[in-house]
Amino acid sequence: MNDIQVPMVDPGRAKQRHTISKLFRMACMLVAVQAVVILVILLSTIFFRGIDHLSWSFITGVHRDDNPDGSGLWPAIIGSIVICAICGLAALPIGIGTAIFLEEFKPKHWLLRVFHNLVQLNITNLAGVPSIVYGILGVTTFVYMFGLIESYEANKAPSIEFGARRYYQVRTAAKTFVWLPVEDKTIRLLEINDPIEAMYPNGQSFMLNVINRGDPKPDDAELLGQTVYRGSKGSIFSKHPWYYLRLPFHKSVLSAGLTLALVVLPIVIISSQEAIRAVPDTMRDAGLGLGCTRWQMVRTIILPASIPGIMTGAILAMSRAVGEAAPLLAVMGGIVSKRTGPENLMDNAAAMPITIYKWARDDNPGFWELSASAIIVLLCLLLTMNSFAILLRYWAEKKFTAN
Amino acid sequence: MTNAPSETPTNDPATVTAVQAEHFNAWYGDFQALHDISLDIPQNRVTAFIGPSGCGKSTFLRWINRMNDTVAIAHAGGTLRMGETDLLSPRTDVVDLRRRIGIVFQKPNPFPKSIFENVAFGPKLHMRLSRRELEELVEWSLRKAAVWNEVKDRLNGPAFGLSGGQQQRLCIARAIATGPEVLLMDEPCSALDPASTLAIEDLIFELREQYTIVIVTHNMQQASRCSDQTAFFFEGKLIEVGSTTQVFTKPKNKQTEDYVSGKFG
Repeated sequence: MNDIQVPMVDPGRAKQRHTISKLFRMACMLVAVQAVVILVILLSTIFFRGIDHLSWSFITGVHRDDNPDGSGLWPAIIGSIVICAICGLAALPIGIGTAIFLEEFKPKHWLLRVFHNLVQLNITNLAGVPSIVYGILGVTTFVYMFGLIESYEANKAPSIEFGARRYYQVRTAAKTFVWLPVEDKTIRLLEINDPIEAMYPNGQSFMLNVINRGDPKPDDAELLGQTVYRGSKGSIFSKHPWYYLRLPFHKSVLSAGLTLALVVLPIVIISSQEAIRAVPDTMRDAGLGLGCTRWQMVRTIILPASIPGIMTGAILAMSRAVGEAAPLLAVMGGIVSKRTGPENLMDNAAAMPITIYKWARDDNPGFWELSASAIIVLLCLLLTMNSFAILLRYWAEKKFTAN
Repeated sequence: MTNAPSETPTNDPATVTAVQAEHFNAWYGDFQALHDISLDIPQNRVTAFIGPSGCGKSTFLRWINRMNDTVAIAHAGGTLRMGETDLLSPRTDVVDLRRRIGIVFQKPNPFPKSIFENVAFGPKLHMRLSRRELEELVEWSLRKAAVWNEVKDRLNGPAFGLSGGQQQRLCIARAIATGPEVLLMDEPCSALDPASTLAIEDLIFELREQYTIVIVTHNMQQASRCSDQTAFFFEGKLIEVGSTTQVFTKPKNKQTEDYVSGKFG
């Protein structure tokens, strides 16, 4: 074979390469800068519009229909926190469990492997589904439960419920109220003709003293407070502890929280999977080589090593949940004028994104700037959550790179 | 280090077989990684597996304590026994098996925990010990692995703070803390410097009094220094097995001779 001379380097070619490299670097910088500029413009607009109304009384106040200056965000903040907590309690165990299954319990049998791959494929696809779709899913699944259960109507006792206590409230001759326990919740008004067991609102029970209208009232103050006229009517009311449940869930914070859990579940699963995958295989070998069962390995090695990464993903998912408006609108409707947070799981609630949305399109222009103030509060909450996630990630990286 | 090749012949009638392979085959999917391996691993001896990369020696090692169970496509046939235990049977409790057959890996892989917790990890899985018993066992294991003097003042310090050689000896201590009968070592010195390598080789030589040791190595000198029996693998086949002295000085097979004399591999 003949030897050939390696050709001379062309200096023009070298110069051209450097120029292209420089141009590309500048283009990249330009793109990055414009993204930041747009963000800064957006944020500063919001900031200057909303800063005037931002005050402690704005945070702790409640919405007032005709008084934007006196309105506040408190019920919405509480509502958002409750919904987000329900969402986290539902999504994190399921999401982390699924991630552990997908990463650490890969089956060997071909049929199970098909199932495993199907789950994985589905989750990857679900991460891209718009949240309003989950909202509609939440409406059919949680709010109406596919219509399988008798529909719930406001102010009527649902047929399937748990935790509610109902009483008839009766006025005594002393013009105070006493309660009578309810046996049949479909009877909404009870006429009292005979002495029956009743109780004070503090729970102490006694026998009712029934007298006819026109009869002389007892002189004793205590007896007077236990006396009702024959024929007086007691109307039903219910007390709901925080864990009150009914089927279907209807328009409640539980429905909203579970729907948001569906929205963030793919995010939780995928980020947990990445955190688990980041644990080096040498750790798995070490554990299995010492005689760990799969679960012992997950519990003692994989989870401790990946929990900062999992938590980072969880916090980011929760901050996504806090900001979601569409599924909440679909599930609970646009509620703004709640005066308190939700009282139980079946109560509905105002939430920050919905309050922002409602205020921004209110007829009263006074609310428009309030909307900007609410955005600042929401952004502050999100930034706090995200910076916490960044701290966690930093801590996790330090722990891993020690090796 | 003065470990001359051991004079103990492997056909010593006093030797008992610890692990026995007969017509053992192993596959990864359709690829056959090991062909018809028949090999006796004697008790309380060091057996070295040598051979070029990809010859199947690590695969064989990982089948002995079923670490290959983690590989979905790996399967095996033939016989592989330790005493009465059928190592390939699906009914064999791999968790207890791996307690009885400890393994040390190529790269030191301590857990991101304290030195004490690393050694105590195995015993905590398998035994119910008081704090005192656990402390005794940890000290015994660390002494056995010749690393006690270097770590005794920092038992609660992170294992990552140790040097590579110390970490590897910690991993050996961790492996012997569960009371194994067999210790498998997959190129235990390939990530270490010469001084640490020598320390580990010393240790291997001492540990053979109590354990059956199988060591995979790329290092001919290492095999000749610290093993009693040597098995040469090539392309998934067991080419030659014999006492280390014999394999290195009077190999019967031409391929073995070429390999141990450095003509290929």
